[in-house]
Amino acid sequence: MGVMEPQASSQATARTPLIALLGNPNCGKTALFNRLTGSRQKVANYAGVTIERKEGSFTSPAGQRFRVLDLPGAYSLNAQTPDEGITRDVVAGLRAGEAPLDAVLCVVNATNLRLNLRLVLELRRLGLPMMLALNMVDVAKKRGIEIDTAKLSQELGMPVVETIAIQSGGEQALLAELDRMSFDAPVKAKPLSAIDEVPLEETQREVRRILAAAVSTTKDTGNLTEKIDNVVLHPVAGPVILAALMFVIFQAVFSWGDLPIELIEGGMTAFGEAVGNLLGEGMLHSLIVDGIIAGVGSVLVFLPQILILFFFILLLEDVGYLPRAAFLLDRIMGSVGLSGRAFLPLLSSFACAIPGVMAARTIQNPRDRLVTIMIAPLMTCSARLPVYALLIAAFIPDRAVGFFNLQGLVLFVLYFAGIVSAMAVAWFMKRRSEYKQQALMLELPAYHWPQPGALASGLLERAKIFLMRVGTLILTMMILLWVLSSFPGAPADATHPPIYYSVAGMIGRALEVILAPIGFNWQIAIALVPGMAAREVAVGALGTVYALSGGDEVGDALAPMIAQSWSLATGLALLAWYVYAPHCLPTLATVARETGSRKYAWIMAGYMFALAYVAAFIVYRVTLAITGA
Amino acid sequence: MTQVPSLTTLDSLKAGQSATVIHLAPHAQQGGVDVQRRLMELGFVPGERIRVLKRVLGGPLAVKVGESTFALRRFEAALVSIKPE
Repeated sequence: MGVMEPQASSQATARTPLIALLGNPNCGKTALFNRLTGSRQKVANYAGVTIERKEGSFTSPAGQRFRVLDLPGAYSLNAQTPDEGITRDVVAGLRAGEAPLDAVLCVVNATNLRLNLRLVLELRRLGLPMMLALNMVDVAKKRGIEIDTAKLSQELGMPVVETIAIQSGGEQALLAELDRMSFDAPVKAKPLSAIDEVPLEETQREVRRILAAAVSTTKDTGNLTEKIDNVVLHPVAGPVILAALMFVIFQAVFSWGDLPIELIEGGMTAFGEAVGNLLGEGMLHSLIVDGIIAGVGSVLVFLPQILILFFFILLLEDVGYLPRAAFLLDRIMGSVGLSGRAFLPLLSSFACAIPGVMAARTIQNPRDRLVTIMIAPLMTCSARLPVYALLIAAFIPDRAVGFFNLQGLVLFVLYFAGIVSAMAVAWFMKRRSEYKQQALMLELPAYHWPQPGALASGLLERAKIFLMRVGTLILTMMILLWVLSSFPGAPADATHPPIYYSVAGMIGRALEVILAPIGFNWQIAIALVPGMAAREVAVGALGTVYALSGGDEVGDALAPMIAQSWSLATGLALLAWYVYAPHCLPTLATVARETGSRKYAWIMAGYMFALAYVAAFIVYRVTLAITGA
Repeated sequence: MTQVPSLTTLDSLKAGQSATVIHLAPHAQQGGVDVQRRLMELGFVPGERIRVLKRVLGGPLAVKVGESTFALRRFEAALVSIKPE
């Protein structure tokens, strides 16, 4: 922001026309937008909703500057989803806060005109200046689809240009055509009722007539996508391939991430020490080094895993595999009242629930989306791993059980418990509400090769979103928790570590009354308070409570100490607690923002704490009964 | 046309079978997506040829219509009356 837009100054030449890209999903619209604007993009949300608004700018060869809006993909202007509603309103000039358009650039997939042209014909009835970009002409030509652009232009009554969005220079014809158009003033769109003046069947007949006149298929090259789908969607091979892919992704997330994570940890520690030396001892030192740098660092370490996970997600999305995975899983998901589309957000949640909750935007049905958001934090995110690792090392013996290692087996059980519980909660929500089966109607687009450039910029955007959050929300919470854990200071005759006397300590000791029945001592209760910031913070907090020095050795020194001072029942109860407890304020804040209401964040916190308490109680009591303590 | 055309619905087609769309029934459910209209917008209009590519046992069908493929749940497919080939 901050840049002043020249508000329609004196001459027409100083005007920057606003054009919008409109098209079906899977038409390569966003690739064309990226090709046109390069890095000159602003990504924000449309006011009041969590739908991405992408605006960019570019300059034509003649020197005219344009602003361009990448509208959400739509199958029709008769909107059925919130995304399509935005597209309809912007095009029709009905969306408050959006400037009227100078022209609409219709982007169509040249290999699928039969589907894509319907939207073009609908839009034409609004009477706006239009241009058609025949995208993916290279693929169409390879498949033997010959399109007579002059004829098509004549039939549609608008300029038609060929574009190849994924190729450098593939937008040149489009730019040249833009320079031939004149942009004096935005044109007011006709009312939306104009669209329904022609029945759907009529529109479809018109599409077929235009195709017959302007398109000929010279050879039938066979359909590679169908051949791939014969294997990928096969009743037996399909699920096996899906399982294998998931396995590879998990392996990558948890093994490739190690090195960069160590680098970040090392870097943050070194940075903290350097800053600490500059500041000397004192309150400021504690705030900046222990509170801010260590706190932010503890969240920053998840960046590599999140990026690795998103690398695979973006890759599978780009290639066209994700809708297939949703197709294969729709039956299982449907049995608990979820959509197959919930697969992606839930998969993301294994790295971190925050991108998972955000990815639920792709689910159109509001109820399905809400259920998916509500269960996403039950997926075992990577922040639980440090806690699991500590407790497993302390309480589970490292020995073989059949082919398996007992510690590994317990870790698997914890993951499994999260998934099963999520399904159970979804099923319960389906039972409780007046559940109606939702439509799927999911397009399975043609496969294509991944675009390294698009992949890189997608990853960069993810990293930016994550770092922004770390820099704002998480930073604020870390400071708040530092204040709670540091004030008031310990009295002169203190027998406990300073945190015992702080506000966090007082809250923790008060909580002990509630937590004692599930076997938690006051040390655990206190550690859980700063642990609200993020799950893994509890490990460091336990270190503080047990008055250990900071650094990497905390975990190593802590495991034997808690193994000695806690009972097995307490250790296992804390493990069960961590499967469910929502120890992650950033997730709750994200849920409040994504659902547009704090209510759901409170409901989530409530139900997850309730589940955690019940699970820990059962585990504690059962273990006590078995061990006879 | 001496034979009575054997009409059925899309959800009863096996993988690999082709058919012609005859009619789309409105969806009884109030609110939410207008399934009938959206199916037509996706290309399921009377007279159109369609083909079931794959189906998941007890789950959705992958249906080819025109140049596109869509995954439909069984209840959606049941709205489409077809004449199998």
